[in-house]
Amino acid sequence: MRKLHLIFGLTVLAAGQLRSQSDSTGTEDDFSMYNDVDFVDEGAKRYCSPKIEGLSPAQLIYIGYDVQGPYSMKADPLTNRDGNQISGADEMEMAATHGLRLGCNIPVISTTSLVWQMGFNYWQTNFEGMEQALPVGGRNKVIDQHRNAFRTMGLNTTVFKPLNDKQFLLFQGSSDLNGDYTLSNIMPLRYLKYSGAVIWGKRPTEKKQWGVGLARTYRVGELNYIPVFMYNWTDAANKWGTEILFPARAAVRRTINPRNMVFAGFELQGQSYRLYKDETLRPEDLEIRRGEIRLRMEYQFSVKDFLWVSAQAGYRINYRYHSDRLDGGKETLRAFGLVSDAPYAMESTLTNPFYVSISVNLVSP
Amino acid sequence: MKKISLIALFSVLLLSMTAFVSQNTDGDRLLGVWEPSNGRARVKVEKIGDKYFGRIVWLKEPVEPATGENKTDKNNPDASLRNVPLKGYRNLKDFVYKGGDIWDEGTIYDPLNGNTYSCTIKMTDKNTLDIRGYIGVSALGRTDIWKRLEIKPKKATKK
Repeated sequence: MRKLHLIFGLTVLAAGQLRSQSDSTGTEDDFSMYNDVDFVDEGAKRYCSPKIEGLSPAQLIYIGYDVQGPYSMKADPLTNRDGNQISGADEMEMAATHGLRLGCNIPVISTTSLVWQMGFNYWQTNFEGMEQALPVGGRNKVIDQHRNAFRTMGLNTTVFKPLNDKQFLLFQGSSDLNGDYTLSNIMPLRYLKYSGAVIWGKRPTEKKQWGVGLARTYRVGELNYIPVFMYNWTDAANKWGTEILFPARAAVRRTINPRNMVFAGFELQGQSYRLYKDETLRPEDLEIRRGEIRLRMEYQFSVKDFLWVSAQAGYRINYRYHSDRLDGGKETLRAFGLVSDAPYAMESTLTNPFYVSISVNLVSP
Repeated sequence: MKKISLIALFSVLLLSMTAFVSQNTDGDRLLGVWEPSNGRARVKVEKIGDKYFGRIVWLKEPVEPATGENKTDKNNPDASLRNVPLKGYRNLKDFVYKGGDIWDEGTIYDPLNGNTYSCTIKMTDKNTLDIRGYIGVSALGRTDIWKRLEIKPKKATKK
C-alpha cells in the first residue's frame, strides 16, 4: 500500500515537472537572437499585403444616405429613331435628390497568397420637385420619368493576387442593374451593365503602393475603356497620405490618429439608367447617361472599435446627363468622341448643387 | 479487494494524466518563432499556464522614422499604454488548444490601428499557421499565413 502511494506521488510530481517545462513565464529575451533566422520550410515565400500602413479601413458593410441640394434640369427636345421630335424642351427645378445607399464586401477567400471578396450594393435616388406646373407643350417624357426613383443594384468582386513580396495584380468587376424599375418589378437581367478593372502594381515599402491598369467603366455615364492609375502613400510620420485610383477618385488624407481621418479630393460617379417603367417609352430603348464629379471633404472616424462613420460634404458638378438610344440594343462607344460622334437622343443641362452624405460602416480587420 | 480497487483507480488516474500530458504536448506544437506574411514582424509563441501567448520579438522597422526612437504602441486606445515598447509586446493572447490543429478563444492585436480582433489559429502543417482575425463572426475576417522560423546559432566570438 505504501508502495502504491509512493508510485502515485512520483507520477504526480513527474506530471507537474512536464507541465512546468512547457510553461514560459516571460523571461526576457535577447532580442538580437531573432535578427538572424531562416524559414524552417525552405520553399516558404513572402507575399505583399493588399494594404499599406495608414490607409483608411476597408468597409465590410455600409449603410448611408446621400442628399443633393436644389438644382435645375433643362432638357432639349427628345427625338425618335427617325430624328423626329416626340417630346418638347422642358425645364424642371429639382428641390432635392436623395436616397439610401447600402452595401457589403465580404471576404470569400482571405489568405496570404489570394484575397477574394464578393460584394452587394443598392443605391436609390429620389427626385423632389416634380409637382411643378406643366409647360405649354406638356412635360418632357424623359424628365417626367424622374417621378420614379432611380435604382442601382449590383454584385461586385475584388481579387487581390500578390505575385511576390513587392508586386501584385488587382482585379475588380461588377454587374449592375440601373434604372427606374421598382423592387416589385425589377428589370430583366439582360439590362445588366458590366464594368471592371485590371491593375498591375508594386508595393515597394510598407507605406507606398502604386499600380497601372485598364478599366471598362460607366463612371462618366457611358461606356468607356480608360487607363487607370493607383497611388496610395503614407508619410513617415503617418500624418499625411494619398488614396488615389485615378480617374475614379483621388484624395489627400490627413490622419489625426488611426481612428480619425480627414480627406479632401474628388470622386467621379456615374451610371447608365435605363428608362424601363413607362411602357410607352420602353420601345425607344433609352438610357440616361449620368456622370458627375464630386469635389468633397470627408471625415471618417471610429465610433467604437470597428464601427465607423463617414460624413462628407461637397459640390456636385454635372459632367453629363444625356439620354442615349441603344442602336439595336447595343451601346454606342464614343470614347470621348474619338470612336464616334453619334448624337444623343436628348441632351440635358444640370446646374450644380452642394451635397452631403453620411454613412455608418463596419470596417475590415 | 481493496487493493484491486486501488490499482484500478490508480490506472485510471495514470491514463487520464497520460492523455492530459499528451494533449498538452500536441498543443505545444504552436510554440516557437513565427513570421506573418508581410515579413514586418516576428512573433514568439509561448505558454503561460494552459494558454498560449505570442509576443513581438523582432520588427523590420524598429525605429519610428519621425522621432528616431524605438517604436511604441502609440495607437493603443488606452492612452496609458502608448509608451509601451512594441518589441516584447504580447499581440496574441489567451489561446486555448482545442485539439486537432486548432487553437481558439484568443485575440490578436494590430498595433497599426490599435484594434483587437477575435482570433483562431489553425496549423495547416507543422511549419504553417492560418491566423484568422475576425469581428464577431468568422466570416467577417481575414486570414494571414504565418511561417515557422528557426534561429541560426550565433557564431562563437574569438577572445
